[in-house]
Amino acid sequence: MEGRPTLSGSLLQVQMRHRVGGLALDIRFALTQPWTVLFGPSGSGKTTVLRAIAGFVRPDDAAIRFGDCVLVERGAGVFVPAYARPVRSAAQTAMLFPQQTVAANLLYGSRWSSRPEEEQALADELLGLFRMTGYGQRMEDELSGGERQRVSVARAVFAAATRDESTLLLLDEPFSGMDVALRDQLLTELREWLLKRGITVLSVTHDVGEAFHLSAEVIRIADGKVAQQGPVEVVLAEERRRLLEQLRGEQISAVKQSPA
Amino acid sequence: MDFEALWLTLRLAVGTTAILLVIALPLAWWIASGRGAGRALVQSVVALPLVLPPTVLGFYLLVAMGPLTAPGRFLIRLLGHPLAFSFGGLLVGSVLYSLPFAVQPLVAGFESVDRRYLEAAAGLGATPRKIFWTLVLPMARASLLTSAVLTFTHTVGEFGVVLMLGGNIPGATRTLSISLYDLVQDGNYAAANRTALVLVCFATVALLAIYLLPSIRKQDGRQADIVR
Repeated sequence: MEGRPTLSGSLLQVQMRHRVGGLALDIRFALTQPWTVLFGPSGSGKTTVLRAIAGFVRPDDAAIRFGDCVLVERGAGVFVPAYARPVRSAAQTAMLFPQQTVAANLLYGSRWSSRPEEEQALADELLGLFRMTGYGQRMEDELSGGERQRVSVARAVFAAATRDESTLLLLDEPFSGMDVALRDQLLTELREWLLKRGITVLSVTHDVGEAFHLSAEVIRIADGKVAQQGPVEVVLAEERRRLLEQLRGEQISAVKQSPA
Repeated sequence: MDFEALWLTLRLAVGTTAILLVIALPLAWWIASGRGAGRALVQSVVALPLVLPPTVLGFYLLVAMGPLTAPGRFLIRLLGHPLAFSFGGLLVGSVLYSLPFAVQPLVAGFESVDRRYLEAAAGLGATPRKIFWTLVLPMARASLLTSAVLTFTHTVGEFGVVLMLGGNIPGATRTLSISLYDLVQDGNYAAANRTALVLVCFATVALLAIYLLPSIRKQDGRQADIVR
């Protein structure tokens, strides 16, 4: 088909046309790296793309495949329901199950229910990774907003890690609102951890720092289209320059204001 | 006071509630998650016993179970006796008559569950069946209680359908409300009063259960928080 991404051996291929509100999405891309970031201003349709891949949105027209699995093929009438896709996801809002402890939330999507020791070890490992050791028995209303968000991401990571088949992990603004020092540590460790297990990640962000810290592949979305795809140093060079300039400006004005 | 009628009424109410929960859970979940014309049609049919005179429902059931219709004849051949004027017939009538009382609280409960929880669960690979049992039902448990209690008490208090469908056979179809009617016909107001009081008690206890249990459970939760 004309215009279809033709990169062979790519992990995820997306081609979708969809109308939401006043926005007309016409998106085509293929993932080539283990961690790719969808970057764009809010309202640019990033979340809709993620939700279409997860199976929560039925695009007007689409062909989405992951490896050998066809997830959506509008022409052939294929639409695999969300739960049957080789995809695990965490939305931007944490949505922890309120009647369950943090540990039960983590284990909700586990495929290892026949291996309770390994399950427990993985839960402990992830709680440690997400700086939540000792939080296993807490309930949702005993957590701060940031802690809830970390559990939500950890829950999706857990579900992905217990699958034997190759898995795509979708994270919508996974670390928004987290303090930057903790976020940067967490991103580095999580990236290593997921890479080791061969889990492919597509995340959404509008934070330049986050994208650079992941040194990920970046797909920039603007006006409902893919404007650019490539290494973060290339795609977000302009944003980075502006950000540094702004930072320098603040430093200069701080120096001027301080009494000599 | 007719203890045979009391025992029969209790059996009828327990049986109806048990059968209706099995029917109402999937039906209510289907209505709550469906849309379009099919949903509206099913909702209307479920609500029909609320607005129909019970005697009309009883009449049609009587005809349907009798030898005048093909299904009725089939039933008679299958059972060896007509379903009408038996406990089984009464059970079928009660299930239909109390259907809206079982289904509607559950639909309201299911609809109040935030869809984003269900999406989060599906995003973790949970099947619709798992999501229903592990999330939807626990989150809507208050409406499950309401549904069961309303079904039970509504069946205890039913009169028109029972009269049309069951007649007045002691031990088989004579319920408390029919017995009350008989006692008044006989001019036995003292016994009628006792029977009526029992029915009032049922209704009061049931309503207390609906309004009290959720608040008790909430207090339990708070105490558990403090202990932890």
